Amino acid sequence: MVLLRTVMIVLAVLVTGTALAGEQAADDLVLANGGVRLQKPKGKACIRPTEWMRRNHMDLLIHKQAMTVREGARMRSESLLQCQSCHPNREAFCDRCHDYAGVEPNCFECHNYPE
Amino acid sequence: MTMDRRTVLGMGGAVAAGVLLAPGVQLIAAPPSNETSAAGSQRWAMLVDVNKCTPGCTACLDACRKENNVPLFGDPARDVHWIRKVEVQDKEHRRAPFTLPVLCNHCENPPCVHVCPTLASFIRKDGIVLIDEHRCIGCRYCMIACPYKARSLVYFSTRFPKDGNPRVPIRAKGVVEKCTFCVHRVDDGQLPACVETCQGSGQGAMIFGDINDPQSEIAQRVKTLRTETIRADLGLKPHVHYQGL
Repeated sequence: MVLLRTVMIVLAVLVTGTALAGEQAADDLVLANGGVRLQKPKGKACIRPTEWMRRNHMDLLIHKQAMTVREGARMRSESLLQCQSCHPNREAFCDRCHDYAGVEPNCFECHNYPE
Repeated sequence: MTMDRRTVLGMGGAVAAGVLLAPGVQLIAAPPSNETSAAGSQRWAMLVDVNKCTPGCTACLDACRKENNVPLFGDPARDVHWIRKVEVQDKEHRRAPFTLPVLCNHCENPPCVHVCPTLASFIRKDGIVLIDEHRCIGCRYCMIACPYKARSLVYFSTRFPKDGNPRVPIRAKGVVEKCTFCVHRVDDGQLPACVETCQGSGQGAMIFGDINDPQSEIAQRVKTLRTETIRADLGLKPHVHYQGL
């Protein structure tokens, strides 16, 4: 009985250790606010400071949306399509954080996010 | 070096002013050069030469559907059309039946804009009538107001087509959509897809340009030739002109 218990403990330690090591090994993930793991961006810098984007990207997108649709001010470098050049996978970046935060934006019902 | 009290206070004031102004200096930085903007001096218009529009040709319709990801649901009563071909017959048979493309006329006095309760329909500075689909609630007042039947409601959810055009978003279920004069192309200095196709593989019946520019082909042709608009009696001042109607 003691032997079985020992084996179980060793197994549990091994499994947990491997899982932790595996998570640390995935170097394409970065830890964002609150512990959600997001895909590491490709480029050097975002169009705004990262801290600012984390909190305000939705306001920026809505402002750009109004400017583009109503005024015809199309700024290619700051369009939604351009986000994809640094964050290629929507599921691993946008959706993962939105799921974590419990918000459901409907941008991608219509807008294409090419992979 | 010693400073008197007045100098010290003055320098303190200068530092405070600098700190206050510094964020403002960033705010008025020049915008990046890749920005476009609709100009109020322009007024985009289209001219269709009906004599060159052949009955069997659907080049403009196909090009529009492909460029703007316009869905077909397989139900004629629900299908979305941004541009359609209309066959006209003379009741007294003085003239052979002919066809012409009918699309949003981008009126100067658009009734669709006047009735829109959410200000989703609007007229841009350069005369293009657009729908801000983010604001549209799908009430369909505009569809009733439009005398050209240019607008369609999206009755069903659609998926982005595999070979779709990534520059144009699809439209969600429950909003109204219509021809935009391919506004994304016009902003980039290109022609609308229907006009480009008509001039390329089609019959060369359509031209597009700035009617406010007296040097443009469209302005000269509208000035010198006999052109008409559909239902000119309504006083909406459409910007799709027809020649040989």
